This record gives sequence, C-alpha cells and structure tokens, in this order.
Amino acid sequence: MSIVYINILLAFVTSLLGLLIYRSHLMSSLLCLEGMMLSLFIMMTVVILNNHFTLASMAPIILLVFAACEAALGLSLLVMVSNTYGTDYVQNLNLLQC
Amino acid sequence: MTTHIVFVLSTIFVVSFVSFSSKPSPIYGGFGLIVAGGIGCGIVSNFGGSFLGLMVFLIYLGGMLVVFGYTAAMATEPYPEAWVSSKAVLAMFITGVLAELLVACYVLEGNEVEVVFKFNGAGDWVIYDTGDSGFFSEEAMGVAALYSYGTWLVIVTGWSLFTGVLVIMEITRGN
Repeated sequence: MSIVYINILLAFVTSLLGLLIYRSHLMSSLLCLEGMMLSLFIMMTVVILNNHFTLASMAPIILLVFAACEAALGLSLLVMVSNTYGTDYVQNLNLLQC
Repeated sequence: MTTHIVFVLSTIFVVSFVSFSSKPSPIYGGFGLIVAGGIGCGIVSNFGGSFLGLMVFLIYLGGMLVVFGYTAAMATEPYPEAWVSSKAVLAMFITGVLAELLVACYVLEGNEVEVVFKFNGAGDWVIYDTGDSGFFSEEAMGVAALYSYGTWLVIVTGWSLFTGVLVIMEITRGN
C-alpha cells in the first residue's frame, strides 16, 4: 500500500481538529469542513485509481455533489447569523448559555 | 526525489491543510484551501486520474471556493489576522508543520511504515496492473458509467440539489 495514504489521513485529522476547536469566526470552521471534504475526495480517488476499481469512479463525483449541498447550507446559515448580529463571531451564538 | 514526487506533494498537501486549520482570518484560510486543492489535483493526476483532477479544479475550486471567497469578503473584519500577526495562529501552524516533518522523516528513514498495514514507499509509482484496458482511460469510462449504471444516483443527487436550493431559499427568507 502507498505511503501517500498516511499523509492524506493526517490532512483529514488536521482539518477535523481545526473544525472542533473554535476561535472567533464561524467561517473558519466552515473552511475546515470544506478541507475535510477535499481530503476525503482525494483519498477516495487515489484508492479507486490504485485498485483499478473502474465503476467506483463515479463515487468521488457524488461525494462532491453532496459536499457542495452541505457547503451551501452552511454558508446560508452563516449569512443569516451575519445579518442578525453584524459579524459571524461564534460568541454571538449564546441562546443556550447557562 | 522525482520517484517520490507523490509523497512530496502529499507532504505539502498536509502543510497547506495546517495553514488553514490554524485558523487565521478566513480570507487567508481560503487561500490555503485553494493551494491544497491545486496540490490535491496534482496527487490525483500522478495516479492517472486526469479527469477527476480537473473536477477538483473546476467544481471544487471554481465553484465552491469562489462562493466561500465572496462570503468571506462580505463577512470580514477591518484588520484580518495573518499567520504571523497572532501568537496562537503561529504556534498552531508551527506545531502542525513539526508533526508533519516528524512523519515525513520517519517514513524516509526506512521507506516502510507499519501502522495496521504495511505501507511501502514503492507503492507510489508501482501500480498494480490488472491487464490491458485498450485505448480508453478506465477512469473516464467509470465516470461516464454514471449515466448508464448510475441513473438512479443521478436522479437522487439532482433531486437533493433541488431540495437544497429550496431549503436555502427558506432559510434566507428572513423576516
């Protein structure tokens, strides 16, 4: 098996950590979500190409379609937060504050 | 080095992922994601997947990231923080690069890593060959099979995109 897989998995874990650790902007977390989708796409494509699994080549495209849906939904939520509060800071989302 | 070009590209891939995971201002994070997309296209093209690499550039970078760029320009701040202007961001970036350098040095020591499977360095450019595939590229034929064997997939994804657009219009209706 190829050593490339280790690095692509590491990229996925890095992006996951970036998604879970908030700083101030909601937008940076959405960017980390996009990074996770990109690393999954690359991983899937490299595995399919290495194993000559021809009919599964449509799977990365389907993954890209659903990632686009998810990105658009996340961005629309961010736009509504930005319209309500003026900025997209995560500290504005404090309805469930104890 | 050029026999291990895929490993070098994947190392730079991880470094650009670290550059936006260390959370600078979203504009700079978007730039890091664009670089990561370009390098991912290079990795895929090195394994013979030219069509899927171009998909990354066209759909992912040209479609999704352009929308992210416009939204980041809309919801931005007057003094965006870069990687060197904040200690937290710089510390996370250096930690990530050091971790990746550790992995790269460990791999390049013995050209073989055993985590659960045995990964070996020759697997980058020695691809298992299952015989002659004729005059066509099998990856392009696999993607083209989306319209013959994968008709139901096309219907489901098309319908979910349409429903997604309706959901987004309801969310952003406001009032």
